[in-house]
Amino acid sequence: MWNKSIDQTINSVTCPGCGLSCDDLSITFAGDQLRSLVNGCEIARSFYETALDHSDPTPLLNGSPVTLDQALAACTTHLEQSNSSLFSGLATDVNGMRGILELADLCGATLDHMNGDAMFRNLRVLQDNGWFTTTFSEARNRADLVVLIGRQWLDRFPRLVERVLNPQDALFVQSKQRKIVILGPWTEESLPEDLASLNPQLIPLEMDAVADAIALVRGVIAGKPVDPNRIGKQTGELLISLANQLQQANYSVISWSAAEFDLPHAELSILGLVELVKALNEKRRSAALPLAGTLADITSNQVTTWQLGYPLRTRLQRGYPEHDPILNRWQGLISRGEVDLLVWISALSSQALPPDCEIPTIVLAHPGMRFKSLPTVYIPVGIPGVDHHGHWYRSDGVCPLPLNKLRRSKLPSVADLTNLLSRQLQTASGVSARDLQC
Amino acid sequence: MLIKLAGATVYDPANNIEGEVRDIYIRDDRIVSAPEAGETIHKTYSLNDKIIMAGAIDLHTHIGGGKVNIARTMLPEDQRGSHRERTDLTRSGGGHAAPSTLSAGYRYAEMGYTSCFEPAILPVNARQAHMEMADTPMLDTGGYAMLGNDDLLLQMMAEGAEQQTINDYVGWILKASQCIGIKVVNPGGINAFKFNQRALDVDDLHSHYQISPRDIVRNLSRALSELSVAHPLHVHASNLGVPGNYLSTLATMDAAEGFPIHLTHIQFHSYGTEGDRHFSSAAAAIAEAVNGRANITIDVGQIMFGQTVTVSGDVMAQHANHHHAHPNKWTCMDIECDAGCGVVPFRYRDKNFVNALQWAIGLELFLMVDDPWRIFLTTDHPNGAPFTSYPHLIKLLMDRSFRNDMLSQINPDAAAASQLQSLEREYSLYEIAIMTRAAPARILGMTDRGQLGPGAMADIAVYHPGGDPEKMFERPMLVFKAGQPIVEEGRISQPVRGKTQVVRPEFDEAIEKRIKPWFDRYHTTAMENFIISDDEMAEGIGSPINIHPCGLNP
Repeated sequence: MWNKSIDQTINSVTCPGCGLSCDDLSITFAGDQLRSLVNGCEIARSFYETALDHSDPTPLLNGSPVTLDQALAACTTHLEQSNSSLFSGLATDVNGMRGILELADLCGATLDHMNGDAMFRNLRVLQDNGWFTTTFSEARNRADLVVLIGRQWLDRFPRLVERVLNPQDALFVQSKQRKIVILGPWTEESLPEDLASLNPQLIPLEMDAVADAIALVRGVIAGKPVDPNRIGKQTGELLISLANQLQQANYSVISWSAAEFDLPHAELSILGLVELVKALNEKRRSAALPLAGTLADITSNQVTTWQLGYPLRTRLQRGYPEHDPILNRWQGLISRGEVDLLVWISALSSQALPPDCEIPTIVLAHPGMRFKSLPTVYIPVGIPGVDHHGHWYRSDGVCPLPLNKLRRSKLPSVADLTNLLSRQLQTASGVSARDLQC
Repeated sequence: MLIKLAGATVYDPANNIEGEVRDIYIRDDRIVSAPEAGETIHKTYSLNDKIIMAGAIDLHTHIGGGKVNIARTMLPEDQRGSHRERTDLTRSGGGHAAPSTLSAGYRYAEMGYTSCFEPAILPVNARQAHMEMADTPMLDTGGYAMLGNDDLLLQMMAEGAEQQTINDYVGWILKASQCIGIKVVNPGGINAFKFNQRALDVDDLHSHYQISPRDIVRNLSRALSELSVAHPLHVHASNLGVPGNYLSTLATMDAAEGFPIHLTHIQFHSYGTEGDRHFSSAAAAIAEAVNGRANITIDVGQIMFGQTVTVSGDVMAQHANHHHAHPNKWTCMDIECDAGCGVVPFRYRDKNFVNALQWAIGLELFLMVDDPWRIFLTTDHPNGAPFTSYPHLIKLLMDRSFRNDMLSQINPDAAAASQLQSLEREYSLYEIAIMTRAAPARILGMTDRGQLGPGAMADIAVYHPGGDPEKMFERPMLVFKAGQPIVEEGRISQPVRGKTQVVRPEFDEAIEKRIKPWFDRYHTTAMENFIISDDEMAEGIGSPINIHPCGLNP
């Protein structure tokens, strides 16, 4: 598998297009072009077409083409001169993240993922409270009631219906027996056909009303008196009905995408969902299924957590890890002028541009990246799962999957580049660490 | 490169050497016989009065895999106050009960350990466990794949599958997940909890599959024996932590029907119901059963007082215990029709009756089980205590007066309810070498580890002698890994990376005809991507494999 030769048709390909990480894709090439893509959604198609549609760009230094060695030398100079660097973006594979963390340790950098805001809506709940979660196959085979919060999950995770909610086969519950309840900014008319075919119960409400709605459901389950009129009589009664369904279900699953909770103190809305699941488990079985993983947020956070002991939003400036989920937010570090160098890593997306900022910026990114304003240094990198092998985490944080190499490529990986930069920095500063990543 | 370790006092139980002054020679990564006269010795260490043993082996320590990462994520307070600064040689990190991978590797090596085994690898998440262990430097690593709660095995058993089919599945799992053994956690219970069963004793039936934990233990222990896998079925028994559970533990021993089994962290499974508080020590009954049954090995899972975090595949037990979480937060997870995990932080208090008696029960077991080849020194890191407490534990075993001093400080009712005061046994250095080196190597089938004979891997620890075993084992003078000096005076002098230790029993590959349709119909990953290849271990995950032979178990 790892060293499988590059055939014209490749099966069981893992797609890093979203946190579902479907690994049933079958890709056929004609030369360097995509001829067919079986089992891929629109995100997958766009990912592979963008990945394949570029000429091999050269590194740029202050906008001018340079050799890779020249670009690396410039990176080394900037990293040496920096007193407080920020490594962000972090859309890469496991080995890319391993290389980034070693380099960050050498440089005393601070680390945050470009999706840090969404990720920490969940992580702050985990840090304060813990939670009870499940995984895709478990939900697919076992859930007899699925409560989906919000609306964007359908666009962000396009095959969720096919692979989890309505599979052809399931071990313990057949799809037609599965009840689906959707809470969010929908109308009956807005439901797409594949979702409507599941006959979901719709409880229309805006995202900023989710916390109150879930509080009402929790109140019913706790046996407290609740007033359905406070949230609107019709919605309130639907929520009371939902509470009753949840108490009768054998295995309920509550799912959301934290990215959609784009509102102040969103973690409190998510805390309500997590507490609801915990309360249900006192008598029945229930689990949360947070949807995430886009642009490797789960991947980069997993590797950071095992290597540093802390999740992202951790700084290494004082020679050891210090974590702060609020102060180490990348946007804040830049806007407060607390960093003097930005290293932006975006190997998976040509769209995830670095922010405009006044400090020098090193970009290790997708070869198809089109900048609005050119960074100080740009080194195009190989795309994990296309140009090189790698590993990648799904939304549920388990089952890290292998990413395939689909074509021969001269582009260096993020791991290659960061390992080289670490060697250069160690040599330059006389550090005698042996030729080891650890 | 030929190295001479001259004049140290050798404790090498695998070769029946107890405290003899000998010279040890290392050529490259191996221990060799004394060289011919005239051969150049490149480096000589004068070790007169020093004590030399093989590098220590921890056969049950939770150092990798998803549940440890959940603990790290959930407990930033565990990192604060125990950070480890970057040096020219080592990376930064930290953590007390759930250390970063790098810190865990460094700290283990600084205590003379050279191999560690993660006991609870979910096959679907084996990649993560191996990736974390690949990032745990200084050590060889390995793991036990969890079976017995996966829906495929339970389904096969419910259908009355032949033993041969189960053997093939077990062999396939070992290969696909790159493991050295098989573990079962709360047999069938993790799965039953998904069906809302809250308890599953050894002869209770799983509500869906209508099979019992006894059936699972029997089939899996037999499978490993028939596959000639050295390590016996590694069993986390039913009813962990429940008063009266010693009866389940005894029943689990019987369930193996004479096939070898290893009962892990048995302290948590040795509780009676006597006394006013209906919680008592059943260590005597458990020790008697172990002493009388040659097919049983155990490790203790000693608790130590203080803050830790419990991480376990046993979601049923962890969820039941979440009310004891300290600080008050906990995480549970159902995972991929495979198993699950639960993470509950916990503070053991010496003035608390139950915690104090748990401490005493662990020590009673150490002192009442006769054969040091069949009992292993563990705290079930971090569940009973972090592994950094091993030197303290060794002192408790070797020094009765110290032990009784500690006993006098715990909850007095617990002290009175324990036989510990009357147990006079003190472990010798030789016995410590057995239980931390020779015996774990033997029970894992690693014939070239845990010993200092010619041909053995040159994993070696050299200690300053002294009256205080805790100080001695805390800070070795020298540690060698595969012939290289890696620790000098308790500090890392040379960072190295280890390999993954695996076994590869023979099985019929046609079992994939049963497994692949299962993946295709029910799973959200492909069987092809579940399997971890040898190349992937070396080149992608970063820890090449080392295959130990099957069929050599004594």
